[in-house]
Amino acid sequence: MSGTSYALNKILTTVARQHVMKDALSDDDLAGHDLNDEERAALKAGDITRLYHLGANPYLIRRVFRSRFPI
Amino acid sequence: MAEIVAALATSHAPLITGRPEVSMPERRDRLYGGFHELHRRLTAARPDLIVLFVNDHIQNFPYSNMPAFCIGLAEAYDAPSPGGARLMRIPARRVRGAPEWGMALLESGLAAGFDFAYSYEIESWDELSVPLHFLTPEGQVPVAPVYTNCAAPPLPTPRRCHEVGAFVGTFIRSRPTRERVALLATGGISHWVGTPETGRINPEFDRRVLDHVARADIEPLVRLTHAEIERDGGNGGQEIRNWVALLGAVPGWKGEVLAYEPVAEWITGCATVWVHP
Repeated sequence: MSGTSYALNKILTTVARQHVMKDALSDDDLAGHDLNDEERAALKAGDITRLYHLGANPYLIRRVFRSRFPI
Repeated sequence: MAEIVAALATSHAPLITGRPEVSMPERRDRLYGGFHELHRRLTAARPDLIVLFVNDHIQNFPYSNMPAFCIGLAEAYDAPSPGGARLMRIPARRVRGAPEWGMALLESGLAAGFDFAYSYEIESWDELSVPLHFLTPEGQVPVAPVYTNCAAPPLPTPRRCHEVGAFVGTFIRSRPTRERVALLATGGISHWVGTPETGRINPEFDRRVLDHVARADIEPLVRLTHAEIERDGGNGGQEIRNWVALLGAVPGWKGEVLAYEPVAEWITGCATVWVHP
């Protein structure tokens, strides 16, 4: 991980607390969050590898995008 | 005086109970056997309280306020909650806390230079639920958790975790009570969770950790850096901080590995360890 993205971890924490697993986040999920283009694209694609490299916490990635993991 | 009557270390993973059918039956049975033997020994030790060295998985502590060490002061803990129970496939229950004991530890820590955070409400996950499901199925022993940040870097160093554990041990032994206290550390050993390497396990790292624990050879463990653990044990391997803290509380005590199984289907190198005086 190159660093921590507070913006990504904040939105992933919000979504994780809804206890709903997602394949990808929607514009509604992203509304009101201060994210850059790369972060928005990765969230909307449910790109778990990209999110990791952008600084999202892996535990949060796993909780939100559980269905994206083969195991 | 209060007394430490037992010390145990185990892995925690929601799939240990949540997906028992996907592991190789002999691996599952050996690991469950380790848990059952720990349960038998713990019961025989008749603890009045279980002090837990555990970690949050960003269920509770958000990036807006992340404690390195946090003492639980809750009256009770969901272990698991109804939602967690469905995933972990174990009965939902409330396990009694020990808030007065936790407050005494907190105040003693602050006086001694251990600046613990504290929380009156913690939503536990597998760190309490899975081990306690096996170890106190009756749920009659109150628990006092000490949470260490193992999941949201930067993390406290293993050496600091060892010092915190040593303080907790000293605190317990100085209590002017006849409490019989069990220590339980949960987490680890190697696992990669939520990273691009999710599912990887490193049995070599696990056996190295277990070997140090078996010989009470703590120095190589406290010297481990975050980067070394991440490389060899994965982000989940950072949870060995909880084991290191426990070993700090019982200097010289040696681990007896009852079971070790690298269970790929549970994405965790799983161990059950009884720690002897």
